[in-house]
Amino acid sequence: MSPDAPEPIAVFRARAARWMERHLPRWDDELMPTRALQNLLYDHGFAGIAFPTQYGGAGLTLEHQQAFVEETAVQDRQLPMENRVSIGMLGPTILDRGSEDTKERFLPSLLRGDSVWMQLLSEPQGGSDMAGSMTRLSRDGATFVLNGSKMWSSGALEADYGLCLCRSNWDVPKHRGLSMIAVPLKDTPGMSIQPTRSASGLVSDYCEEFFDDVVLPAGNLIGGENEGWAVAQTLLMHERNTVGNIGYGRLIGQRERGPKRMFGGEPAVSSAVAAHERGRLDAVGMMIVDAYIQSVVVPLTSARVMAGLRAGTHKGQWGSLTKLQSTVAAQASVRTALAAHGADGVIWEGDEVRVDNVGTTWLESRGGTIAGGTNEMQRNIISERLLGLPKEPAPDRDLPFSEVLRNTRRR
Amino acid sequence: MQIELNEEQEFFRAATRRFLEAETPLSVVRDLYESRDGFDRTWWRKASELGWTSLLVPEQLGGGTLSGKPTCDAAIVAEEIGRLVAPGPFLPVNVVAASVAREGSDEQGSSVLPGLLSGEIVATWAICEPQRQWDVRDIRTSATPQGTDIVVDGAKAYVEALGSADLVLVSARTGDGLTQLLVPTGTPGVRTTPGRSIDITRRFGSITFDGARLPASAVVGEIGGAADQIAWQLDLAVALQCAELVGIADRTLEFTMQYGLERSAFGRPIVSYQALKHRIADMAVQLEGAKAVSDALAAAIDDGAASTSALASVAKAYVGTHALDIVDDCVQITGGIGVTWEHDIHLYNRRAAVDRAVFGTPEDHKNTLLTQVVATNKGPA
Repeated sequence: MSPDAPEPIAVFRARAARWMERHLPRWDDELMPTRALQNLLYDHGFAGIAFPTQYGGAGLTLEHQQAFVEETAVQDRQLPMENRVSIGMLGPTILDRGSEDTKERFLPSLLRGDSVWMQLLSEPQGGSDMAGSMTRLSRDGATFVLNGSKMWSSGALEADYGLCLCRSNWDVPKHRGLSMIAVPLKDTPGMSIQPTRSASGLVSDYCEEFFDDVVLPAGNLIGGENEGWAVAQTLLMHERNTVGNIGYGRLIGQRERGPKRMFGGEPAVSSAVAAHERGRLDAVGMMIVDAYIQSVVVPLTSARVMAGLRAGTHKGQWGSLTKLQSTVAAQASVRTALAAHGADGVIWEGDEVRVDNVGTTWLESRGGTIAGGTNEMQRNIISERLLGLPKEPAPDRDLPFSEVLRNTRRR
Repeated sequence: MQIELNEEQEFFRAATRRFLEAETPLSVVRDLYESRDGFDRTWWRKASELGWTSLLVPEQLGGGTLSGKPTCDAAIVAEEIGRLVAPGPFLPVNVVAASVAREGSDEQGSSVLPGLLSGEIVATWAICEPQRQWDVRDIRTSATPQGTDIVVDGAKAYVEALGSADLVLVSARTGDGLTQLLVPTGTPGVRTTPGRSIDITRRFGSITFDGARLPASAVVGEIGGAADQIAWQLDLAVALQCAELVGIADRTLEFTMQYGLERSAFGRPIVSYQALKHRIADMAVQLEGAKAVSDALAAAIDDGAASTSALASVAKAYVGTHALDIVDDCVQITGGIGVTWEHDIHLYNRRAAVDRAVFGTPEDHKNTLLTQVVATNKGPA
């Protein structure tokens, strides 16, 4: 296959369809461990479909990736959904921003699922103002030393590497003194990880990480020293794409899309049954239909945005729009289920704590509009970057970061 | 607002926009407020020459598509009409032309289509009955065979462009089945009453049938066999209407953002405040969703997809709700000048409100979805 003539989509789709019929288990079959599933895809050329071959990818395009994902939906085949962050967000960021050396070192094992990556962005004192990062990266000859802490990082307990945004220069305006560095998470001296218990009572996969003189090789920088903000922007874009299911992040097939798979919500149909059985369909009916309508419109909108990005009618950070739309819809759907099930959704018989109920799902769903950049930040991005409205005033923008800190303390 | 248009479609969109900007700018739309019909017949013939009336009719009957996807082609015109709240019986004429092309006899094809396509004849569709819904179950007007004739009794309401129409496609009931007939407005026993709407140029009317006697040759399709065709026409009407609503919302948001950039308060453009930026971001989400579902419906009709009617209900419920919400919110952002006759935004509010109501309100369609789709566990694929 010559590089200027990639395999036609239809041919690829047919090849992928034949392969998954034989190799990929169905969702109804026993669940295959994430790593084994990712290995399987990689070893047959179906991981990193749109990544160049020299980094372990298949050297095809995002349209091929989309075709593959759609085909898994048609055939209801398992995909390594636990790897969405690693594959949909971190891999593409390293691809876009890493040096030749880091791409060659990190990408093949990431795509094969042998190393799982996550992001270390938000900190205990703030998330939306991400450029205000206080985690300190100091140069010490050929190595760096990391001190500080990160929070709300999904999957840190399972991951092998975290991509960490930290401050490497305190004497320049905040956006210009940041660096992004890869931190090994397993058995790293000076590093500890604690899971955060979420309001739903589940021990959530959100974690807090503490760095105490963690020594890192300079070769772990992704992007240049003090050029971390651009890398963070790229990472955030891929994050929104993954939540909004577009771009490299288009990893959920149509059939298992929607609230149920995204945030554990109940789809409209089962809410309708529950409300009908309990004699409240008249009152809850319109909420249910609204949730149903969203379950049709949301995937059509992502498909439209994908097509627009391909055709060039859509440019820039459209993931913010699909992220905003899908998380609001998912939350409303779970809220509807809460209304439909009534007391049966929040009360049960027996002594044990249970989490397999609509109430817990609802508690858990609250995070969707906050995680991945709050929806208020997405509304800023949509209005400023997609629609061209004026930017928010930022009085700290051009001050050296150390002065911003002094101002804050004085108040 | 389809994404991948071919060259002919792009050319057609540009030509349609130029035509509307030159012939019926908003100043002309305002002037038509006082007129009886709300549009000029000579202008309508010019619009027809552009191809507005021929897209849904196959080539061998004098029409032709640009892309092989006739509903998608027609949606382009509907969007442009929405953007300039343009006059003219685009929707009813196209529904009747498509219906005659699909189901009509050869004789109907040769006697009616040439005039419809050239703009000489104006036709409209009468389906909904007074105080009822756009639902085949609500059709009570009867079409009863007597000898070689069909006798029609009953009443229809909310018929677009009735005062200008030479022909009315009437959807009626024959026993358990449904029948459609082409009825000339001058037929004895047929009485039309003109009506207006809050829209500047769009006129409606009511029609009663009191033993109106039509020859069997007036029947479009089979007597008692029109149920599927009527459902198809409703889907088509909703698709064209949703495209118009998308055009309305798109254009309104565009000029409102422009206004908000030019208008300052407390030393800043008003749209630099998050109070407005966040509302506009939510509108952008709704607008993108409206475009996506509206385009998907047009494509589903052209593909003859199963469960297209359920998708039509989703589309009307979503687009009908959000297009009017967007225009309403834009009025709020525009402030005092937005509630004056002088500002153009009320022209858009008027059209959006009428579109919201005709061919079923979003609430009617939600009822349909609840009873027919969600509760029975069947949805669009």
